[in-house]
Amino acid sequence: MDPKLAEVSQLFERFKAACAREDVDTCCNVLSKLKVLLTGFSSLPPLFEDTPNAIHELTLARDIYEHAVLLSVKIGDQDAFERDFFQLKPYYTDASSRLPPSSQEYMILGLNLLRLLVQNRIAEFHTELELLSSTALENPCIKHAVELEQSFMEGAYNRVLSAKQTVPCKTYDYFMDLLAKTVRDEIAGCSEKAYGYLSVSDARQMLLFSSDNELLQYIKEEQPEWEIKTGQVIFQKAKESASCKEIPSLQLINQTLSYARELERIV
Amino acid sequence: MAATMVSSAGALLAMLNESHPQLKQHALYNLNKFVDQFWPEISTSVPLIESLYEDEEFDRHQRQLAALVVSKVFCYLGDLNDSLSYALGAGSLLMSLRILIMFILFLMCLNFDHLRSVVDIFKFAGASLVCLTFLFLFLTSAKAIDEYASLKAKATESNAEAANVDPRLEAIVERMLDKCIMDGKHQQAMGIAIECRRLDKLEEAITRSDNVHGTLSYCINVSHAFVSRREYRCEVLHLLVNVYQKLPYPDYLSICQCLMFLDEPEGVASILEKLLRSENKDDVLLAFQIAFDLVENEHQAFLLNVRDRLSVPKSQSSEMVQPKSSDPDPAQNNSSTASEDVQMTEGTSASIAIVQETDPNDAIYAERLTKIKGILSGETSIQLTLQFLYSHNKSDLLILKTIKQSVEMRNSVCHSATIYANAIMHAGTTVDTFLRENLDWLSRATNWAKFSATAGLGVIHRGHLQQGRSLMRPYLPQGGSGGGGSPYSEGGALYALGLIHANHGKGIKQFLRDSLRSTNVERFIYDSAVAGEAAGISMGLLMVGSASEKASEMLTYAHETQHEKIIRGLALGIALTVYGREEEADTLIEQMTRDQDPILRYGGMYALALAYRGTANNKAIRQLLHFAVSDVSDDVRRTAVLALGFVLYSEPEQTPRIVSLLSESYNPHVRYGAALAVGISCAGTGLSEAISLLEPLTSDVVDFVRQGALIAMAMVMVQMNEAGDSRVGTFRRQLEKIILDKHEDTMSKMGAILASGILDAGGRNVTIRLLSKTKHDKVTAVVGLAVFSQFWYWYPLIYFISLSFSPTAFIGLNYDLKVPKFEFLSNAKPSLFEYPKPTTVPTTTSAVKLPTAVLSTSAKAKARAKKEAEQKANAEKAAGAESSSAATNTGKEKSSSEKDADSMQVDSQPEKKAGPEPSFEILTNPARVVPAQEKFIKFMEDSRYAPVKFVPSGFVLLRDLQPTEPEVLSLTDAPSSTVSPAGDSATGQQGSASAMAVDEEPQPPQPFEYTS
Repeated sequence: MDPKLAEVSQLFERFKAACAREDVDTCCNVLSKLKVLLTGFSSLPPLFEDTPNAIHELTLARDIYEHAVLLSVKIGDQDAFERDFFQLKPYYTDASSRLPPSSQEYMILGLNLLRLLVQNRIAEFHTELELLSSTALENPCIKHAVELEQSFMEGAYNRVLSAKQTVPCKTYDYFMDLLAKTVRDEIAGCSEKAYGYLSVSDARQMLLFSSDNELLQYIKEEQPEWEIKTGQVIFQKAKESASCKEIPSLQLINQTLSYARELERIV
Repeated sequence: MAATMVSSAGALLAMLNESHPQLKQHALYNLNKFVDQFWPEISTSVPLIESLYEDEEFDRHQRQLAALVVSKVFCYLGDLNDSLSYALGAGSLLMSLRILIMFILFLMCLNFDHLRSVVDIFKFAGASLVCLTFLFLFLTSAKAIDEYASLKAKATESNAEAANVDPRLEAIVERMLDKCIMDGKHQQAMGIAIECRRLDKLEEAITRSDNVHGTLSYCINVSHAFVSRREYRCEVLHLLVNVYQKLPYPDYLSICQCLMFLDEPEGVASILEKLLRSENKDDVLLAFQIAFDLVENEHQAFLLNVRDRLSVPKSQSSEMVQPKSSDPDPAQNNSSTASEDVQMTEGTSASIAIVQETDPNDAIYAERLTKIKGILSGETSIQLTLQFLYSHNKSDLLILKTIKQSVEMRNSVCHSATIYANAIMHAGTTVDTFLRENLDWLSRATNWAKFSATAGLGVIHRGHLQQGRSLMRPYLPQGGSGGGGSPYSEGGALYALGLIHANHGKGIKQFLRDSLRSTNVERFIYDSAVAGEAAGISMGLLMVGSASEKASEMLTYAHETQHEKIIRGLALGIALTVYGREEEADTLIEQMTRDQDPILRYGGMYALALAYRGTANNKAIRQLLHFAVSDVSDDVRRTAVLALGFVLYSEPEQTPRIVSLLSESYNPHVRYGAALAVGISCAGTGLSEAISLLEPLTSDVVDFVRQGALIAMAMVMVQMNEAGDSRVGTFRRQLEKIILDKHEDTMSKMGAILASGILDAGGRNVTIRLLSKTKHDKVTAVVGLAVFSQFWYWYPLIYFISLSFSPTAFIGLNYDLKVPKFEFLSNAKPSLFEYPKPTTVPTTTSAVKLPTAVLSTSAKAKARAKKEAEQKANAEKAAGAESSSAATNTGKEKSSSEKDADSMQVDSQPEKKAGPEPSFEILTNPARVVPAQEKFIKFMEDSRYAPVKFVPSGFVLLRDLQPTEPEVLSLTDAPSSTVSPAGDSATGQQGSASAMAVDEEPQPPQPFEYTS
C-alpha cells in the first residue's frame, strides 16, 4: 500500500480512537494534520486525477470528512461544520459515480439542511433541496428536515418544537435545540411587526417561555431595543419603508432611444 | 471513464477558512486553477482572498497568488482598474500567461482604434482561440500594457522623460515582450512593442524571428495601418529600413517603399544605382521594378528628386547642360515638330554621350540609366498604359448614341454632360470617334460648353505626351494674333493640355505659362473671378503636400478678396497644400474650420480630408462628423460628409457603416455628401454594403441627391459586370430609363449620363483607385478626385476624375521595357470578369430599319438551312433503310448501329448548348485584370518568363529564362501617330472600325438548322 495512504489511514485510526475517548483536543489536532495530508493526494477534489489508488483514497478522504462533520456537531462549532461539509460535498456530488454510496450521506445532508434552517438561511436551504434526487427526498433524515421547514414556514412553531421527539438520529439533537431558539427569534420578529405592545404574560406565552424571568433574560440579551414598562413589552415598530412605485424602465428606454435616433436624423 | 469534474468551488472556498496555512495555500493554488470556471462563485469570497493578500504574516508567494486570483475575478467582473492594481500585486506570477493572443481582444473592448489589429491577430492566432478561457489573464496584462503605452506616448509627445512610469508596469511589459519573443510570437511582440514605443524591443523581435522578411513586411503594414502619429510612424520606418539594410539579402522593393514614405530620395537613388551597376541582369530588372512601383504612387516631387540624384556617368555631365540651356526656345516657337518633349531631347543627348564613351561598363550603365530615368519620369508607364488602353478599348458607342439622341438639344447641361460622359468613357484611349462623327452636333456648344468640349479632348488623349500639343494646336490660342477660336475653346484647350500632361508636364509647363501670359488679358475680360478661382486651385495643385508658407499667404488673401469664387478657389488650394501632412496641418485646419466665412470652413473640410487622406484617423472622423451635423452652412455640411470618403478610403468597408445614418438625414445636402463619400471611398470596390446604401438614394426625392447617388454608384460599380453582382445590370437599366425619360429632372439626368460615362470609363479598362498596390496613396488620384468633387460649382472640373483612373492591366515587360508575349492563368470563370456585353437594344429610330434588314438575309439563310436539313434527312432515311435491310442479317450489327446513333445524339447535344463554361482562362500579356480578379491570377511555372515580383496587376518586370531565343513581342502598335489634328472632317483612322460597326447594317444572324 502507498506509504502516504498508510500514514493517513493510521492517523485516521488514531483520530477515531480519540473520538471514541471523547478527547476533543486530540481529535482537532489529528484532524488538522489529516486535512493537510489529504491535500497531497491529486485524486481528490478539485483535481480528481485518475491515480491507481484513486477509489481508495477518495473513500478514505470521504470518511475523514464525514467524521470531521460529526465532530463539529459534537463540539457545537457551526463554522467548522460548514467548512467541513463543503469540503465533503464534492465526494457526494462529483465523485458519486465512482464511489459506493456512503451510509452516512443522507444523515449528513439532513444535518446540513437542519443547520441552514437553524441559521435561518432559507434560500440556501431550498437550493440544497433542489440539488437532491427524489429518492433522497424519501429518506427519513431528509424528510424530517423538509417537514420541519414546512412547519416553520407555516408558522406552526409548536409542531417544530414537538418534532424534537421524533429525530431520526441523535446527532440531530444539537441542531434541534438551536432550532428552538431560531423559532423564538422568528416569533419575536413577527410580534414586533404585528403588535405595538404586548403584556408580559402574553409575550411569554407567545415566545414559548415557561417563566417571566426567562423572558426578561431573553429580551435583555437578544432584543435590547424592546422596552418593558408597566408590565407591557413595547416594540419599536420598524420604520415603514417608503413605498416605491415601479419605474416603467423599458418604456422609458425605448422612448429615449427613439428620440436619439430621430434627433440624429434631424441634424 | 470520463474524468470527474468539480462542479463547485465551494469546497475550496471553505478550505480558505481553515486555520492551517497549508490548507489555505492549497485552496488558493487550486482556486487560481479553477477561477475561469468558478469566478462567479469566487466573487462572493473576494474580500476573504483580499484579506489573505493583505495578511503580512502570509508567505510572499501566497500573497501574490491571492492577488492574482482577485485580479482575475475583478477582470471577469469588468472592473479593469481594480484588476490591474491586483495584477501588479501579483508580480512575477503574471508571467505564466497565455495573454498574448488575447492581448488584442482587450484592446477591442477598450479602444476602438485597434479593431483592425484585433482582427489581424485573431486571424493569426487561429487555433489558439481555444484559449478564450484565458481571457482574464490577457485582459489584465493588456490593461497594463495599455496604461504603459499611454504613459509612454504622453511622455514622448511632451518630450519628457518617461520617469513617471510605474517600474512595476514597465517590468510587466518587458517580461511580456520577452515572453512573446521567446515563444516565437513575434507578431504579437511587435504589436506590443510598437504600441508601447519600445523600438529596441521591436528591433529585437524582428531580428530574432525566423522569417525576417515576412515579419518586416508585416511590420510595415502594421505601422501604416495602426500607427496614427506620423512622426512616430517615421521613426518606426527608419528602424525598419535599418534592419532591412543589415540583412544579407535585402528586400529592396520594400526598402524603397519605406524610403519613399520617409521622403529620402538619396537612399532610393543609391539603391537604384547599386542595382543598375550590378553585373547581374536580374538586379537591373529589380531596379526597373522598383522604379515602376515608385511611379505608381505618383509622388512626383520625390520621383524627380530620385532622378536628379542618380549619378551621371563621367564626361556626360558636361554635355547634359547643353540641351537644357536650349529649353526655353521650343516653348517660344510652338509651331513645329521641334517642340518635342524635353525628356526626348535629353534622351537623345544621353545616347550621343554613350557613343562617345569608351568604357563599356559605363556605357551599359548609361543605357540603363536612360531607361530608368524614363521610367521614373513616368513616361514609360504612361506610354504603355496608353498603348494598352488603346488596344483594349471596349467602349460602347451605342450607349453614347442613345444618350445623344435622347438628350434635348436645347438643354445645354445634358448636352455637355454627354460630352463629359464621352470624354470619361474614352479617357486615355485616344479614341475620339464620337466627337469626330458628331461635329455638327458638337458645334452647337457655346461658351463654356465649348470650353468643356475642347477640354474633353484632353481627357481622351490623356498621356499622349508626344502628340498632345499638336493635337490641340487648332484650338490653342494662336500666338499674338488672337483671331483664332473663341476664348472659351482656347481656355478649354489649355485645360486639356494640362490634363494630358498631368503630373508629368515638365516640358509643357513653360508653354502653358507663356500662353497664359498672352491670353490672360482676354480671360480676365471675360471673367476675372473665374481666373481667380482657377489660380487658387492651380496654386494648390502646384504645391500639393508641400505645406508651404504660401498657405497662410493664401489665407490672408482669401480674407481680403470679396469674390466668393476666388475665396473658394483659394480655400481648395490651401487644402491641397496640406495634403498628407496629418498632424502638421492641424493648426491650419483649426484656423480654417473656425473661420466665419463658410467658404473657408468648407475649405477646412477639404483640408481635413486631404491631410488625413486614407488614414481613417479617428480624430479627423470625429471632427468631420461633428461639422456634418452642426455647421450652419449646407455647403460645409455636405463637404464634411463627403470628406469622410477621403479619410476612409483605405478602409472602404467602414464607410457605409459610418455614413449610414447620415444618408437618412432630412438634409438633402448631407444625403448628397453621404452618397459621394461612399462613392469616393468605395470607388472601384463594388462593395455590396455600399451598393445597398446607395440604392435607395438613387430614387431620392431631391434631384441633386439622385445625381450624386448615381455618380457614386457608378464609381463603386466601375468595371463590374452582371456576373459579379446582379445589381449592376439593374443599375444600367435604371440609368437608361432615366436618360430616356422625358420628364426626368435635368440634374438627375445629368447624373445618369455622367454615371454611364464613369461606369464604362477608359474603354472599360480603368478603375478608380486611390491606393497603390503597396497601400500607399496615389497623390494624383486623390487630388484628382478631390477637385472632381468640386464639380458642384463648376462642371468642367468633372474632368479631374480622369486623374484618378488607373488601368486595370497586367503589363509584363522585359529587359528592354518591351512587352513580350507571355501567358498566365486566371483561375476563375471568364464570365465573372469579362467585359459587359455591348448594348444591342436598338433605339426607336433604328428599330424600324432593323427588321427589314434582318428579314431578307435571314429568309435566305432559312431557306438554305431548310434545304440542307431536308437533304440530310433524306440521306439519313436512305442510310436507315440500308442499315435496316442489313440488320436482318445479324442482330449484332443492328445493335452496334443503334449504339452509333446513340453516341451521335450524345455528341450533338453539347454542340447545341455551347459546352459548360471553363473554370479558368488564359490571359495574354498585356491583359485586363480587374481588381476582383487579382486573387485568381496564377503564373504558369513552365512559362518562358518569370515575374520579378509576384503581383497580379500593374507593371511587372519579367525575367527571361531563355534569353537566347528570339522574343515575340506583343503590343507594338502605338496609337497611330498620323492622326492629323487639323482634319476636322476626316475620320480618325484608328477609331473607324469600331465606329463602323455601329453604323453598319446589322450582321445577319448566325446560320442555324431546323430540326423538324
